[in-house]
Amino acid sequence: MERKPLWRIILDEVRRMEAEVNKMEEEIFKMIKEAEGMRKCITPLYNLYESGDEVILTADLPGANKEEIELVAGEDYFKIEAPCRSPVRKIQEGRYILHVRLPVKIDPETIRARYKEGVLEVVAKKKITGYKIKVE
Amino acid sequence: MKKNLREEHGIEIVETKPIEDKELVFLEGFPDVGLVGTIVTSYLIDKLGLEEVGYINAELLPPIIAVREERLKELLRIYRGGKIVAIISDIPLPASLAKPMAYTLMNWAKSKEPELFISLSGLPEPNRLNIDKPGVFVLGCKPELTERLVRVNGVNKFKEGFIAGVKGMLLREGWKLNVNTAIVLAQSHYNYPDPGAAAEIVLYLSKLLKLEVDVAPLLESAEELKLRLRDLMRRTDQMMHGVQKAKELELPPVYL
Repeated sequence: MERKPLWRIILDEVRRMEAEVNKMEEEIFKMIKEAEGMRKCITPLYNLYESGDEVILTADLPGANKEEIELVAGEDYFKIEAPCRSPVRKIQEGRYILHVRLPVKIDPETIRARYKEGVLEVVAKKKITGYKIKVE
Repeated sequence: MKKNLREEHGIEIVETKPIEDKELVFLEGFPDVGLVGTIVTSYLIDKLGLEEVGYINAELLPPIIAVREERLKELLRIYRGGKIVAIISDIPLPASLAKPMAYTLMNWAKSKEPELFISLSGLPEPNRLNIDKPGVFVLGCKPELTERLVRVNGVNKFKEGFIAGVKGMLLREGWKLNVNTAIVLAQSHYNYPDPGAAAEIVLYLSKLLKLEVDVAPLLESAEELKLRLRDLMRRTDQMMHGVQKAKELELPPVYL
């Protein structure tokens, strides 16, 4: 039997990995939609990133009301909940629920948040736990 | 009359009502950054009352058919009204489809001898939350075309960067085939639907193509649109990983 060339083996492996990733992502979509259907909750689109000495979370919460957004934070998590109302149909579509584990510890007393054009932004300073060392 | 014009690379472009005029303007709004192109195209289809005249089928598309108001709908559809031909998709194109789709679509468009082929998209802007009026950027496949497109007041040239996915490949194919191909981008959220950015492109196209389109209804329904497009955005975000869309946040390397 003829052996496959190396490039073919690598390509096949890349395709297999792509298929695996797609399968995992499809599982995540399924879980999100099942949870949304069963609990009438909505998992918002969100981004979490670090910038310098800050941790920044943005979440897309269209149809939320600034006064009704509940934001709870600990040293290593943000929890956001808010009712979501369809601006056109004027009915409650469900409730946004987002619980995010943070990659580093933050100082909750430094948190500031704003809601603009349907997007919530939460910014917190990282907790300083290390020692400053002079480089010689 | 049904006319199958192209069947290459496993992609079939079918005109259910033949498009026989020349000097048309093609607008492509496949989903990507902020779903900006998709929002613009679907808004124009609605407001200009464009008629469905064809569809695109591809072996690499998932085996899905859409149903709207009890009617079956192809995933990738072609609409026509006056000199405008709009191409829209209900799903993000798989990464593996970007090159063959661009090749087949541009060869089909070339056969129509169009005046322009314009891709519409968002330009990822990490600082979008602090921008009230997103900037519009244009790039033609050749400098003379960029100069023509930038004559409309208030737009900028897209000078440096990367354009990933099918929109980048359409520019490349248009450049090679000598079709007047361009991309129009508005500063946008990367992976949140951005009707505000879409509205800026609608305003630009209204001036460029002398269309009478009011953007107020689009801005008024922005929150509702964002709600309805959440699932498409989530899937588009996944696709954007596959075509290295985040590369658009980078600048090309400079070798001194």
